[in-house]
Amino acid sequence: MRLAVVIHLVGVLVRLFGIMVFLPALVAALYHEWTDAAGFLATALGTLALGEGMRMAGGPRSQAAAERLRRVEGMSVVAGTWILMAHVAAVPYIWAGLGFIDALFESMSGLTTTGATVFRDFDAFGRGIFFWRSMTQWLGGMGVIALFVAVLPRLAIGGRELFFAEASGPTDEKLTPQIRQTAMVLWRLYAVLTAAEVIALLGAGMSLFDAVCHAMTTLAAGGFSPNPASLADYSPAVQWVILVFMVLAGMNFALQVRVARGGHGRALLHDEEFRAYLGAILVATVLLVPFLMVNGTSLAAAIRHGLFQTVSIITTTGYASEDFNLWSDQAKVVLLALMFIGGSAGSAAGGPKVVRHVLMARYTLRELRRTLHPRAVLPVKLGGRVVPDQTMREVVVFMLFYILTFAIGATIVIALGADLVTGITASAATIGNVGPGFSAVGPMGHFADLHPISKIVLTLEMWIGRLEVLTVLVLFRGEIWRSARWQSE
Amino acid sequence: MRIIIVGGGEVGFGLAQALSLRHEVIVIDQASEAADRFDKLDIEFIVGGGTTAETLRRAGIDRADIIIACTGLDEVNIVACGMAHQLGSPQTICFVSREDFLGLSEQREGLERFGIDRVVWPEAQLADDIERIVATPGAIDAEVFEQGAIRLVEYRLDSDSPLIEQTLAELRLPPGSLLVAVRRGDTFFIPRGDTRLMAGDKAIVMGTAAAMTEVQRRVTPAAGTGRQRVTIIGGGDVGLRLAERLDAMKGMELRIIEREQKRGEMLAARLRHALVLNGDGTDLGLLEAEDIGRSDVLVSVIDNDEKNLLASLLGRQLGVRRIITRVSKPANLRLFERVGVDVALSARGAAVASVLHQVEGGQASLLAVLEEGEGRILEVQVPPQHDGRTLRELDPPRDSIVGAILRPDKAIVPHGTDRLGSGDRLLVFCTRGAADQVRTFFSPRR
Repeated sequence: MRLAVVIHLVGVLVRLFGIMVFLPALVAALYHEWTDAAGFLATALGTLALGEGMRMAGGPRSQAAAERLRRVEGMSVVAGTWILMAHVAAVPYIWAGLGFIDALFESMSGLTTTGATVFRDFDAFGRGIFFWRSMTQWLGGMGVIALFVAVLPRLAIGGRELFFAEASGPTDEKLTPQIRQTAMVLWRLYAVLTAAEVIALLGAGMSLFDAVCHAMTTLAAGGFSPNPASLADYSPAVQWVILVFMVLAGMNFALQVRVARGGHGRALLHDEEFRAYLGAILVATVLLVPFLMVNGTSLAAAIRHGLFQTVSIITTTGYASEDFNLWSDQAKVVLLALMFIGGSAGSAAGGPKVVRHVLMARYTLRELRRTLHPRAVLPVKLGGRVVPDQTMREVVVFMLFYILTFAIGATIVIALGADLVTGITASAATIGNVGPGFSAVGPMGHFADLHPISKIVLTLEMWIGRLEVLTVLVLFRGEIWRSARWQSE
Repeated sequence: MRIIIVGGGEVGFGLAQALSLRHEVIVIDQASEAADRFDKLDIEFIVGGGTTAETLRRAGIDRADIIIACTGLDEVNIVACGMAHQLGSPQTICFVSREDFLGLSEQREGLERFGIDRVVWPEAQLADDIERIVATPGAIDAEVFEQGAIRLVEYRLDSDSPLIEQTLAELRLPPGSLLVAVRRGDTFFIPRGDTRLMAGDKAIVMGTAAAMTEVQRRVTPAAGTGRQRVTIIGGGDVGLRLAERLDAMKGMELRIIEREQKRGEMLAARLRHALVLNGDGTDLGLLEAEDIGRSDVLVSVIDNDEKNLLASLLGRQLGVRRIITRVSKPANLRLFERVGVDVALSARGAAVASVLHQVEGGQASLLAVLEEGEGRILEVQVPPQHDGRTLRELDPPRDSIVGAILRPDKAIVPHGTDRLGSGDRLLVFCTRGAADQVRTFFSPRR
C-alpha cells in the first residue's frame, strides 16, 4: 500500500466534501441563524484547507499513481474518507453546542444513513443544523464517493475500486462500460426521485422545509426527521407518500434504471432479489397486522402502521409512523428480525441485504444436497446465473463478521450499563444503519444517555456497517501496515 | 454431377463412398494421411485447405454442382461454403456441430448471408431423435410428421407383449393406425393381413396422434404417466442439447454424468433442474451410488463407441429399462443392438443419408430413416395419373405402403377405400431397395 497515494486521494475527496458544506451555510443564513451559518462557513473553509493540504502532502507523483489504484488502497481511501468526513461533518454540531463524542455520533449517524440521534431537545437547534443532518444522509445514501466519481474525471480509472468499495451489497453490475457514467446515471435517478418526493410531500400538505428534509432522508433510507416525533405527527397521506419512496430507496437503483430505460416492468419480477424483498415485506406485514389489532387498532390503521414500520425497518430507514416502542413484544420481534434482513444490494439501504440471505439459503441447501450426491456439480445460482465461488465466500465471511460485530457491540453496550433490549437493539440498529431500536433507544427516545464508550462503539458499528464490514476490517490486518510504504519505488 | 467434399473424416468418407458410384467426386482434406482410406474409391483426392481459393480452384469449383463441407470444424465449413459460393455457383451444404453460428435452430436463414444453401446439424438431429424416443414410453424409435398430426413409433415385441401370437387381422389395431413394417432378424418386410407377429420382432406403427395414444396403451399397458427418470451419460454437444430439451419437460427427473469438471460446471449452469454428476459413465461405483439402475431410460452419448457400449451394458446390468446409445461408426450399429442396446443411433449415419437423398432425391423428399437406413419415409405429391384412384386400385411398388394422406385441412391414415386427389401429399413407407421405384412411381408421367 502506498500511503502517499491514499492520503492524496483522501485529500481530493475531502476537499470536494468541503464544498458541500457551503450549502447548509446558505440555508442557515436564509433563516437568519447567523451563528450556525458562521460555523458552517468555517467548517467549509477549514475542510477545503485540510483537503488541499493532504492532496499536496501526497505529492505530485501520487496523482499519476492514483490511476493504478490497488484494491486495498481503494478500500483504505474509502474507509479513510468516510471517517474523516464524519469528523468534518461533526464540527457544525460542536459549534452548536454538542460534545465531541455526541457530535461524532450524530454526524456518523447522518453520513451512514443510520438515523440514530443523540439530540435530546430538538428545539435547541436551528433549521440549518436540521438541514445539514438531512443532507449528510442524502449524500451518504447513494454514496459520497460515487458522487465524486461521477463529477471528477480524474477518478475515471481509480474510481472503479473506490466505487465498488463503497457500493452496498455483493453487486458488480455496471449500467455502462464506464464507471463514471454509471455513477452519473445512478445519481441522476437519485436526484430525480428526491425531487419527485418533495413535490409529492408538498402535495400531501407538508411545509417546504420539512418536505425537503424528509425527501432527502427517505431516499437515503436514513430516517432523520426534523420532527422529534418522526412521522407520527403527520397525516396518513404523508405517511403513504413516504412509504412508497422508502420502498424505492430499498430497491436496487441500477434495476430501477434498467426498468425505466426498458419501459417494461417484467424485468422487475424476473429479479430474484426484488421478489424476495417484496416477499419479506409482505410476510412481515401479514404477521404484524393481527399483532397490532389485538390492542384495538382498526384494520386500516393496522395495515398502514404495519406496512410502514415493516418497510421502514427492512429498508433500514428508521422512520416511525407511531411509537413502535409501545407495541407488543410479538410485534417488536418481527421488526427486530427485519433489522437483520436489510434492503436490496445496490440500494441506499443498509443491513446484510436480501440477496445475501437468498445466497446463504441456497448455499445451505446446496451443502445439504451434496451429502446426498457427493459427486454432483452443484453451482449456486441467482437469476439463472452461476454465482462465483469468490462471491459466495465473501458473502459467508460478511455474514460471520456482521453477526460477530453485532454481538461484540451489544455486549459492550450492555456491560456499560444499558438494559438487555436497549443494548441488543442499539447494536443491531447501528450496524444495520437502521437508527432507532427499542426501549431507551426507541423511535421517540435517543442515544444520548448511553455510556460515552458505548457511543464510540456504536459510532464504529455504523461505519463498519455502511462500508459493509470487509472494507473496514481489512484495515485491521497488520500485514497491510507492515508492508505500507510512503510511495512505491 | 461434379461434387466437391471438403473434409475426409467419417462423414466425408461415407458420402464419397455412396456418391462416387454415379458422380464425379473430389475430396479435399488437409491431412495427406486421410488419402489412404480413399484410395480404393474412384475419386480424386486433393491435399489442401478447403478455405483456400487456390485449392478450391484446383478442385474445379467453377464447374462444380455441389460442395459439401463436412470437416470437424464449424468455422472451416462455413468459410469453405462462403468461398465456394463466391468462386463458383455450386449448391452449398454445410455441416455444423455447435449452435454458436445458428443461434436458434429456427434461424438457419442467418447462414444464407454466408452463401450456405443447407445446414446439416447431425448432433441436433440426433438430440431431437433421442428426445422423441425418450418421450414415447416403450418405443425404440419415434418420428413425428405434419407438426405431430402423424406419428410413427417402432416397438420391440418381447415375449410378454400383448401383440404377439396373433395375425394382423386378429390384432384389430385402433382405427387411424397402421402396422407398416416388421423387422424379423435380418429380414425387413411389409406385413399382410395374415402375418403373425412373434416375440423378438420389431414392429413399426404409423398413425394419427389420437390413434397412437391408443396403440401406446395397448402395447405398453404398464408404462404410467408419472415421473420419468432419465440418465444421460456424456455432456457433449448431443448430451447438452438433449438435456436442455428434457430439462424443460414436466415430470422429468434428469441426471447427467460428465467426466470433465469444467464441462460439468457449464452444464450445471445451463440446466435448471437436472442433477449434474462429475464422473465417468463407466464407473460402476458412481452408477450404483446414484441408483442409476432405477432409471427408466439411460442415454449414452459419449463420443466414443467403446465407452458408450460399456456404459450401456453396465446400465442394462443394473436394471435400466430402456437403453439408447449413440454410435459413431455406422458399422457398429448392428453390433450394438445385438448385444442388448435397445436403440442404437448414429448421428452421422442419419446425416449422410439425408444429404445423399438431397443430392439424388428429385421430387420426393426423405422425411425419416428407420432401422439403420433399411426403412424410409418419403413424402410425395399425388401425380395426375393417380388422381381419383382409391388406395386399393393404386398398386404401388413392392415393399412400399402409403402410410398417410396429408391434406391442407387434415392428415389421415388411410383405408383401402380412401380416394386420392391431385392436391394430396402422401407419406410413403418403403424399404431401401424400393425407394427408387417409389420415386419413379409417383413422378408425373409425361
